[in-house]
Amino acid sequence: MNQALAGTAGSDMTNPQEMRFPTPDEINLDKALASIQSKYRVLEDPGYQVVRTFLDSFDWRLHAGKITIWTEQSADGITICQNGIPKASHCIRVAGSGAAPGYPADLPPGQMRETVARLLGARALLPQVEVKGQVRRLRLLDSADKTVLRVMIENNTSRAPGTRDYISCGSCVRLLPVRGYLQPLATVGDLFAEVLGVTATKRGLIDEALQAIGKSAQNYSTKLSFEFDPALRSDLAAKQIHLFLLDIIEANVPGVKADLDSEFLHDLRVAVRRTRSALTQFKGVFNEADTEKFNKRMAWIGEITGPTRDMDVFLLGFGKYQECLPERFHQDLAPLHLFLENHQRMEHRSMVNKINSPHFRRSLKEWRIFLEMPTEEEPQAPKAATPVRHLANKRIYKMYQRVVKQGMAITAESPAGDLHRLRKECKKLRYLMEFFQGLYPKKNISDLIKSLKKLLDNLGDFQDFEVQAEKLREYARQMVEEGKVPHATLMAMGMLVDGLLRRQQHVRNEFADCFALFSQPHNQRMFQSLFTGRTQKGRV
Amino acid sequence: MRIIGVYNIKGGVGKTATAVNLAYLAAREGVRTLVWDLDPQGAASFYFRIKPRVKGGSKKMLRGKRDLDTLIKGTDYENLDLLPADFSYRNMDLLLDQAKKPATRLLKLLRPLSYEYDLIFLDCPPSISLVSENIFQAADALLVPTIPTTLSLRTYRQLLEFVTGNNLNELQLMPFFSMVDRRKRMHVEIMQRLPKRYPELLNSSIPYASDVERMGIQREPLAEYAPKGTAGLAYEALWQELKGSIKF
Repeated sequence: MNQALAGTAGSDMTNPQEMRFPTPDEINLDKALASIQSKYRVLEDPGYQVVRTFLDSFDWRLHAGKITIWTEQSADGITICQNGIPKASHCIRVAGSGAAPGYPADLPPGQMRETVARLLGARALLPQVEVKGQVRRLRLLDSADKTVLRVMIENNTSRAPGTRDYISCGSCVRLLPVRGYLQPLATVGDLFAEVLGVTATKRGLIDEALQAIGKSAQNYSTKLSFEFDPALRSDLAAKQIHLFLLDIIEANVPGVKADLDSEFLHDLRVAVRRTRSALTQFKGVFNEADTEKFNKRMAWIGEITGPTRDMDVFLLGFGKYQECLPERFHQDLAPLHLFLENHQRMEHRSMVNKINSPHFRRSLKEWRIFLEMPTEEEPQAPKAATPVRHLANKRIYKMYQRVVKQGMAITAESPAGDLHRLRKECKKLRYLMEFFQGLYPKKNISDLIKSLKKLLDNLGDFQDFEVQAEKLREYARQMVEEGKVPHATLMAMGMLVDGLLRRQQHVRNEFADCFALFSQPHNQRMFQSLFTGRTQKGRV
Repeated sequence: MRIIGVYNIKGGVGKTATAVNLAYLAAREGVRTLVWDLDPQGAASFYFRIKPRVKGGSKKMLRGKRDLDTLIKGTDYENLDLLPADFSYRNMDLLLDQAKKPATRLLKLLRPLSYEYDLIFLDCPPSISLVSENIFQAADALLVPTIPTTLSLRTYRQLLEFVTGNNLNELQLMPFFSMVDRRKRMHVEIMQRLPKRYPELLNSSIPYASDVERMGIQREPLAEYAPKGTAGLAYEALWQELKGSIKF
């Protein structure tokens, strides 16, 4: 392969991706242009100004997938461009309203839409940074005067969407290949690298634009990856965990209020659940009155956000519900969809009112003040000064023992409530292991977490199917109370309930195997050696 | 994706000019468009300044050894690509004859492209052959440029007979008058008489114009150099009419 092409983003040799050379100085650029003129006829089209809006999800899923999507706005519509998706058009002009795509479904059908949809999941495309560029456009022609490569020399400025002033993010040369013409890109890429003395950058324009405004991609993650010193005081470790979770809660509030996509609320609720779990699990680390006060407030946030999340879950899974029924009944579910949409809006409005309340704001503010307050040298809380490794060992092993004991007691005849309780304990154990995973050998702890996740999947499915079946029955009652609902819709919902309960029974039958896998002797030994420091033969 | 064959049994009726100009106008409106130059003479490829050559020739292509998307070339225009002609297309009939399910071979090759393009124009070689039968199977509609002369009408009747005789009822026929010379009495008379007899005839017609002939010198679609000429406006009207009768 040609040296220059090694730097292209995509591996698609029939439709390679663009190459970009950052900030060449003017003298070298002139030399580079002169050198390509010795090989190709070069035509300069009128320059233009362009405003590009780079799109990604809130949590940068496209960037993580090495894909860039942006729009270029003009009077007769928008052009949607991409870099990084093999076999897809680089630019697709979309006539019409000129609205920027918000979801993958707004993109034209094809590779671009499929790839973006796969990476985004339930997330929306949001404008992340705007770049205004002054562009010089050159075309390289072959002997038949056919364009075989486009060269864009750009001076760009960027700003965060919704802000006023642009900030310079430097100049660059972009080589845009023409489909089916690989060689000119390779030749010119090599020439530029030689004359400019730089290789094509793998950093995208989006990275430079973000850097100019003091942002960076991948600045949001819900992944728990703390590296604690084993001797660190438990109250300090707990505060780090809680601050991380509070950052997530606060970061998601604007997206939850604007209902940009359902993942904002999901992430917020997970962070709240983790916070509550940590508060109850780290008993004695903070003083009791504070723990109780903040736990109560977090419970309230969980409560007020629950109904909207229930509706979101149904709407997200609606396609799958439809697929459960034979095609001729799909249309019968349309009134249910309408009901869910209307109620989601109502629940969302009511939730936002509560989020805007002084109580909500105060809850988060006081929690932050508490967490950012320096810790006392001689704390009153009994476990505050305990080394974190000690706390982690004790809590995890205790919770593990509880899970095993409760799980062993479950038989085929046990009521559903027993499984629900076990699930709650498993979740607590999982959160604990995730909070403190940095304290243990990576491979061992992640194997145990994986094993626990499998059990949790089984218990989660069991509960989800039951809750969904119960909710559907409740919605059916509500729909009847609210007015005319076709019999066919109620029948179709009945079929869904039946299907959910059957699937619940199926996962129930699988529970014993899942639990046996988790509680197998190998895991037992591992839990014991990691969290008690003992092997079966005695202390190590 | 919609596939439009531009076809006439007779040669020299303006098929390639139609395919190239309509494809350009479609792409300009944001429709992702591909032109497949199926004529071994490669006139459409010539208009787009693209070498009429396909790696491996039609043999490898028809046997499915090469995906069509690896053979596609970008034109100088956004949203518009070309699958070039190749001199080996002159033997396509023979090769199709040797293939499994010969009548639907091209359709099978085109299917994977359905996701990347909204509209595909097949610039077809003249005559009735296995190639044209493939085109009839693959296309949703046939645009039939027809010169208003008795001989041209005879060939349109032949096409009609072939279509009805071969159970191609799904295929939408869209004849339109091409290379119209209003100074000729025969052209005017036929154009007045025929719409009653063939209600499928499109309202738009393309005049005989030197602007169209200049495409060979300019090597670009008409709208690039003479958009406001009579021919340029006529193609624009034809595109609007076509757009109104096909669903993307």
